[in-house]
Amino acid sequence: MVNTLLTDYVLPLAFIIVAPLLGGLLVGLDRKITARMQSRMGPPITQPFYDFIKLWGKAPFLSSRFQPMLAVGYFVFIFTAVIMLAFKQDLLLTLFTLTLADVCLIVSAYNSKSPYSNLGGRRELLSMLAYEPLMLLTAISIQVVTGSFLVRDVFTYGKPLLLVIPAAYAVQQLVLIIDMKKSPFDVAGSGHAHQELVRGVYTEFSGYTLALVELGHWTKIAFIMGLISLFWAQNLLIGVGLSLLLWFISIVADNIYPRLNWETMVRTSWTLGFILILANFVVVTILGVI
Amino acid sequence: MIALAIGLPTLSGLACLVAPKNIRRILVYVTAAVLVGTSILIYNSGGFVYSPNESFELVVVGLDILLLLYFLYIGYVNRNLPTLALALAQLLPIGYYEYVAFGTHTTPTLLVDGISSIMSLIVSIVGSAVAIYALDYMVEHEEEVGSLGASSVKAASQGSFFFYLIMLLGAMHGVVFSNSLYWLYFFWEVTTLSCYQLIRHDGTEIAVQNGLRALWMGLVGGVALVGSIFIGHFHFDTISMSALIGKNPTPLLYLAFALMAIAAFTKSAQLPFQSWLLGAMVAPTPVSALLHSSTMVNAGVYLILRFVPAIEGSVLTYGIALVGIFTFMFTAIIALNQKYSKAILAYSTIGNLGLMIFCAAMNTPLSYSAAVILLIFHSMSKGLLFLCAGIVENRLHTRYIEEWQGLLGKLPLTSSVMITGIISMILPLFGVLLGKWAAIGAVSSAAFFPALVMITMMVIGSSATTLFWAKWLGNFTVLPLTEREYKFEQLPSGYIFSMFFLLSLDIVASLGVGLIIQNVVCPAIASNYACVWTAGILGISSQLGSFMIIPIWAAIAAVVLLGNYLYKSKGGIIMPAYLSGANVEGSPTSFRTTADTTVEFNVAGMFFDPEINEGRWTPWGVVTGVLMNLLVIALVVL
Amino acid sequence: MKLMTTARLKSPWVLHFDCGSCNGCDIEILAALTPKFDAERFGIVNIGDPKQADILLVTGPANHRNKEVLKNLYDQMPDPKAVIVVGTCGCTGGIFHNCPNVLGGVDNVIPVDVYVPGCAARPEQIVDGVVLALQKLAEMSEKMEGN
Repeated sequence: MVNTLLTDYVLPLAFIIVAPLLGGLLVGLDRKITARMQSRMGPPITQPFYDFIKLWGKAPFLSSRFQPMLAVGYFVFIFTAVIMLAFKQDLLLTLFTLTLADVCLIVSAYNSKSPYSNLGGRRELLSMLAYEPLMLLTAISIQVVTGSFLVRDVFTYGKPLLLVIPAAYAVQQLVLIIDMKKSPFDVAGSGHAHQELVRGVYTEFSGYTLALVELGHWTKIAFIMGLISLFWAQNLLIGVGLSLLLWFISIVADNIYPRLNWETMVRTSWTLGFILILANFVVVTILGVI
Repeated sequence: MIALAIGLPTLSGLACLVAPKNIRRILVYVTAAVLVGTSILIYNSGGFVYSPNESFELVVVGLDILLLLYFLYIGYVNRNLPTLALALAQLLPIGYYEYVAFGTHTTPTLLVDGISSIMSLIVSIVGSAVAIYALDYMVEHEEEVGSLGASSVKAASQGSFFFYLIMLLGAMHGVVFSNSLYWLYFFWEVTTLSCYQLIRHDGTEIAVQNGLRALWMGLVGGVALVGSIFIGHFHFDTISMSALIGKNPTPLLYLAFALMAIAAFTKSAQLPFQSWLLGAMVAPTPVSALLHSSTMVNAGVYLILRFVPAIEGSVLTYGIALVGIFTFMFTAIIALNQKYSKAILAYSTIGNLGLMIFCAAMNTPLSYSAAVILLIFHSMSKGLLFLCAGIVENRLHTRYIEEWQGLLGKLPLTSSVMITGIISMILPLFGVLLGKWAAIGAVSSAAFFPALVMITMMVIGSSATTLFWAKWLGNFTVLPLTEREYKFEQLPSGYIFSMFFLLSLDIVASLGVGLIIQNVVCPAIASNYACVWTAGILGISSQLGSFMIIPIWAAIAAVVLLGNYLYKSKGGIIMPAYLSGANVEGSPTSFRTTADTTVEFNVAGMFFDPEINEGRWTPWGVVTGVLMNLLVIALVVL
Repeated sequence: MKLMTTARLKSPWVLHFDCGSCNGCDIEILAALTPKFDAERFGIVNIGDPKQADILLVTGPANHRNKEVLKNLYDQMPDPKAVIVVGTCGCTGGIFHNCPNVLGGVDNVIPVDVYVPGCAARPEQIVDGVVLALQKLAEMSEKMEGN
């Protein structure tokens, strides 16, 4: 009884509350590790939180009266997706909610008639075009294997997903690189200390709206980490390890690769995504695992 | 009651032909009200059969022959060979059929069940909204067209426009209620006639050409239906749909169904028949809203929904599904390249119809119900979008979406409704996405190899769909950075009524989607498919997962409240865009450049020229479409 | 609020603008971001967007051509903000101060908080200047928070 209370309510709630902070810490760690890779010292791990508080205190400049609402929308919808993931709800619906969040961001970028912002918004749409098929294919893979889209059924499946659909796990690497806005696929607006189209999709954000978008970005990273952890749902510590592995590889890739263009991003994601996952289906069906 | 549903629109349509403008308005309103009431009554009746007197059969036969002769005449007058040939290809067999089988009376002639009453509701409700919209629209349209110069306008009169529009509602009811294949075929051809007349309404060269193309493609469907009538009568001794569906599967029976599928493809503009729908966009907007998005093209989907339970488990059903999903993917990609509002809407319609056909033909309880859900919600959303597009077009005098940039500032009311309409197509707040969600679930139930192909097409189509809607949505909101007082524009009451009626219907239906699925969709398909849905407080779930629509609406409410609160409490100065410091005072869209000149910048949409090129890709699509259609016929032997 | 001031001090985002400099000071500024001096460990990020920047780092003398750009960028920065001028040219006009097209130091156009002289100023001096600017930012922050 206490056990189910723990797994069904306490832990999910804890994850929900902690998710944005966790994401922020990951961003801070990311900057630290990147710095160390570049033989620098790097900022403290809590740097993103200082950034957030500072941004919140800036005098507010807006690009339009809709911007606060759209920035809030970006964060709230990603947060809703996290809530759904934590309570083991429908994965496909969760992905559609993320689309909702992204559309908020993109509309806000388009809303200010600014060349950099508009191009950034356009590139954000293209990033969505690159990783949305991958996410959909992952959800379909999970559904084919476990029989439903519910995250709950991943936990009761019995076998770690990594052993059945490793291609979906591999493909998450691409998703993570695009969503963390890391080279080679940071065409829409890069992380700190990099510029692309000035700040790309984030150009016209400032002050508290940027703080909200940052918060949303952290929550999104936490979400994807949570998603990747599902690949070893039987032992979540291993699952978290798996997600941290991909996260670390993204940081390495960021330091090695230059920024590539959007055509390469879409082409690579689609080719790798479709071929790997469909091949996985073939292998798994022949081996009779499903 | 059925007589009311079919007969009244026809009569009032005829009346519209002759009546003066004011009486026409009253006629339309009254017809609309009565039609909606009748549909609700029919729906509540729980299904029944009805076979009118034998003499009606003669009336139908007579009208059908007249109709075919009229088609022949049109083909002759316009020197259009396909029309001539296809009309002849129907006239001769039908003549032979009547000679051989004169006086056969199929019972039951008319059948009302769940699916047909849902279709009837859609036709009546959405159709009435569009008809009311049309009253105001055609007034503006006449001014538009009149300003083009008298010589180009061999336009039909307003009266005949409303005649065909209203009559179409009656003909659609005829299609969905007919159980006799012959009656269905007759009403099917009436809708083709209506479609032809409405497309060519403006009388311009291109309108006539596109009308003729719609006509002959529709006639291809007619020939296919004649083929299935022949098989039904001469081989199985019956042309009652319910009887044919109940028969044991044989290749010849499957051939009859395959021919019906081809007819459905022509009506719903699937590949390779998609070009007529795109050409039909030259017609006045109510035509597009009614015929080509929410009503007439649904007839194809309806036919497929009707016979597909009979081919469950066969290879044929996968063939049909393949046509649907390929069309979905193909049109989604081409839509990325479209620059005209109605072209985007048209391609999206074709794609969604393809998705519906795919879901129906996948033949599982989940996918079949997904098709019905999509049918219901797509009609509302797409009808709404077309209505708004028509209003904008009348005011801006252009369909080029680059010139629709920043519409939120120019026409706040219409563009807000249109933005909500676009949101209803891609975001999980509304029922269309529920349909897509269910469709994605249905894909994996296919047998192995087709499943791989279908998964690929579904995923590509889905992603491309989100992209082209989102970029159009963004385009609406591009506003130069100045504080604006958004003054809602004045619109005629007919527009306001039809827009907000469909919008609120869509919202209410989406909020209550769980109830609708459990209480409307499931009972309707219960005769063939078990109900795999359970409605909960927060949404709806199936064996594949759950779609919690209420939490998402709650999230949106939170966003609106929080966003507003932040804006009011923290506020913010509206600052101009970042232009590397070269902003010009007082002009938010200019920057200073060499020699102190001022240049105005513009942000344009993204259209993927030259990667995606409609002209280059369409032939491939058509060829693939033809091959797939032939495959459908070939699969009957399996 | 002490937390707000601490956060502002720990996260100074920089906008770097070259007003007409020979690029000597600009190279030194970029050097300050390299691993040897590593300005990022103080939370300094070279953000290119004035709307998101706290500190404006200017090099080169102000002249008639770029005074509007400078003013525009300064106006597009939200409060609290500080301006650091790097290099003698920006401080007083340097060797260009008598030229007809040159207005002189940057303070002829926008209010300057910290002057870092030198031709070219060294990275250590630049970082020192940033630390001074942070102190000024702290004062500004306390005033903004009403202390």
